[in-house]
Amino acid sequence: MSGLDLDTITEVTASVREVFAAGTGAAVLAKALDELGWTEVVEADPAIATTILFSEQGRALASSRLLDDVVLNQLGSVLPAASGSRAVLYPRTGATPGTVGILLGAVEDDTEIVSMAMDENGNASWCLRPASDFTTEAITGFDPTCGWSLARTSTAATAVAAAGTSWDDARAAGRLAITAEIIGVCASALELAVSHTSARHQYGRALASFQAVRHQLSESHAAIESARNTLAAAYAASPEHGGGAWAAKVAKVRAGQTQAIVMRRGIQVLGAMGLTLESEMHRYVTRAAALDALLGGHAELAVEIGTELLGGAAPARVVTI
Amino acid sequence: MSTTAAPVEWQTDVDAYAQALRELFSDDPAFDQWRGVHHATTEDRVRATATLLGHLYAGGWNRFGWPEAVGGLGGDARHRAALYDELSAAGLPVPDPCLLMETLANPLVHFEPGLAAEMLPRWLRGEEWWGQGFSEPEAGSDLASLRCRARLDGENYVVSGSKLWMSSGATATRMMCLVRTGTPESRHRGLTMILIDVDSPGLSVRPVALASGLNEVAEVFFDDVVVPADRVIGSHDGGWGVAMYLLQFERAMYAWLAACVALRRFYELRDRVMTNGGLPDGATRRLGECYTDLVSLRARSAETVRRLSAAEAVGPEASVDKILLATAEISLHDLARDLLGDHFLTGTDDGADEWRHDWWYSRSATILGGSSEVQRTILADHVLKLPKENA
Ligand SMILES: Cc1cc2nc3c(=O)[nH]c(=O)nc-3n(C[C@H](O)[C@H](O)[C@H](O)COP(=O)(O)OP(=O)(O)OC[C@H]3O[C@@H](n4cnc5c(N)ncnc54)[C@H](O)[C@@H]3O)c2cc1C
Repeated sequence: MSGLDLDTITEVTASVREVFAAGTGAAVLAKALDELGWTEVVEADPAIATTILFSEQGRALASSRLLDDVVLNQLGSVLPAASGSRAVLYPRTGATPGTVGILLGAVEDDTEIVSMAMDENGNASWCLRPASDFTTEAITGFDPTCGWSLARTSTAATAVAAAGTSWDDARAAGRLAITAEIIGVCASALELAVSHTSARHQYGRALASFQAVRHQLSESHAAIESARNTLAAAYAASPEHGGGAWAAKVAKVRAGQTQAIVMRRGIQVLGAMGLTLESEMHRYVTRAAALDALLGGHAELAVEIGTELLGGAAPARVVTI
Repeated sequence: MSTTAAPVEWQTDVDAYAQALRELFSDDPAFDQWRGVHHATTEDRVRATATLLGHLYAGGWNRFGWPEAVGGLGGDARHRAALYDELSAAGLPVPDPCLLMETLANPLVHFEPGLAAEMLPRWLRGEEWWGQGFSEPEAGSDLASLRCRARLDGENYVVSGSKLWMSSGATATRMMCLVRTGTPESRHRGLTMILIDVDSPGLSVRPVALASGLNEVAEVFFDDVVVPADRVIGSHDGGWGVAMYLLQFERAMYAWLAACVALRRFYELRDRVMTNGGLPDGATRRLGECYTDLVSLRARSAETVRRLSAAEAVGPEASVDKILLATAEISLHDLARDLLGDHFLTGTDDGADEWRHDWWYSRSATILGGSSEVQRTILADHVLKLPKENA
């Protein structure tokens, strides 16, 4: 049961939407959330609060280091107390964890970078280094407005704590938040597709009155709904019911598949306009791709799930009535 | 090779012509300057590949496939198809101006051989190329609703309105446009095809960037542009017939040409990822499937090209070619995106850039020249002759 009633959720969602619409910037965002009494919302229902916050960030195509808070929140009892600000270095597929990674936004020189490193025996541990140990390079490529950067260091770090299960917990929390963000991106993209095809006429009819177009929009809607439900179920499942890391992985796979469907259909029903810089569609496409890849893309995670199942994993039902 | 030395037998022996092309591309080091070149802009790419046309023309090579009366050396669509295939197999680009040449030069030769004789050689030499002005802001899938007007005024037409999504529009020097000469309600009956010079007073071009950032298309504005009446292709109010004739080449030859390029890109992708190790699950199977998509597209498309070259009319069944092309293009570029992974998303080298550009461009395969939905409706209505959706 949620600690927030429906009216409050609607109200909070609207307020958060305004915050993002006003434009982010770390300081502005923190202040606006403060004014909203965000801490109380989170206390009342952390799952819903995170879902709202990240869905709205996705919807607005905003970028921030809010995900760092979600991840660091899981590490409170593992890491030594922070003396100043901290940021998370996200692993990049194929790169040595800890020495190369992704930062989700600007950091100060004295910000502590939290990274996960693996020793030769596959033991994960947490490392802390000042940001000044890293060189950063803005990530451009497919999603040039993501605001992320690639950070590298050659400085050896001493492990401050064994990661143990905290890596799984932190990653799971991150994956759920990213799932919410992908859902937000998709919901916005679908709205754009719906409004474009309702307004534009060809052959004397609204595009959205053609069955071939309607089906694509409905398929997108169903995909988004399934991601929403899977996310809520993943939050609700307790670890002994297949919740935690396992359910988070499933949710992120579903979100990744959803964005693939919604973006493909969205581009299609917009016609040539959807392929240009003049339409917002390309920004949804590229942001969804970037988010899908963060903390494991859907194809990769689906293979992991399949491998675990073939290996005899018998997760509990995840979803119960 | 000098022009006169081109064996006349090649007019009828496509295999011998293709064999000679293979030798040319492997023996002549001059072609290396067009291999593996990355262009920062579409305008650069079009101009650079146009110089490849010039080089081919100097040896008479790309004159095959066009009638002698318009500056060619005889032969038919199969010769042009062979040229695109051999270029691609030799790791060379198909020059950008060929895309629109396939679409626009064929109706020009058929309906206005005089204009073709005057203008086609310059195009074949890569000295000029044209744009196709059909679509408009309000007329996409529903082409017959177009509104750009041409009013007959003595010896001239006066054109006003706009065209959108013109490929190579930023660099084209002439535009073959479908314009309204009948009443606004005349649909396909009141249309005329007309050739407009880009330097005509009152004409302006606004390049439009795709999501890749490249100006692949353009919007063109006509503000009382005066066009001599002898620039009409076909007859006054006969534009729809010209467009339908043109569409055969657009559907058939474009599919073949694009399939040739796609196969080259497929092998480039294969070469790039085969050294990667640790390919994602399913990669092997998808490579095999994508290859099969490309081969069956080529099989279908070759058949259509042969029919065209035998002067058979290619009708609604060419929508099959378009559907296969779209499937192959989408599957190849989605495969590239997935196999290149992080490199596709964040790589900073030219290769990554090119795959990202091509990925965006590949999305137009289900949209341009009649969307996937429209192609399926054509097959349903005119080939399967199903009961109509709106009947
Ligand atoms: C890269 C690129 C290059 C191009 N080059 C040229 C060029 O050189 N010259 C030129 O004239 N044009 C060009 N075009 C334009 C192209 O031909 C049009 O984009 C195409 O005809 C579709 O029109 P539209 O984009 O307005 O889409 P719309 O017609 O608005 O269609 C949008 C969506 O609605 C669907 N839809 C529309 N009608 C129906 C229906 N009856 N039933 C079911 N679904 C329907 C479509 O399938 C599509 O998914 C180019 C386009 C692109 C993307």
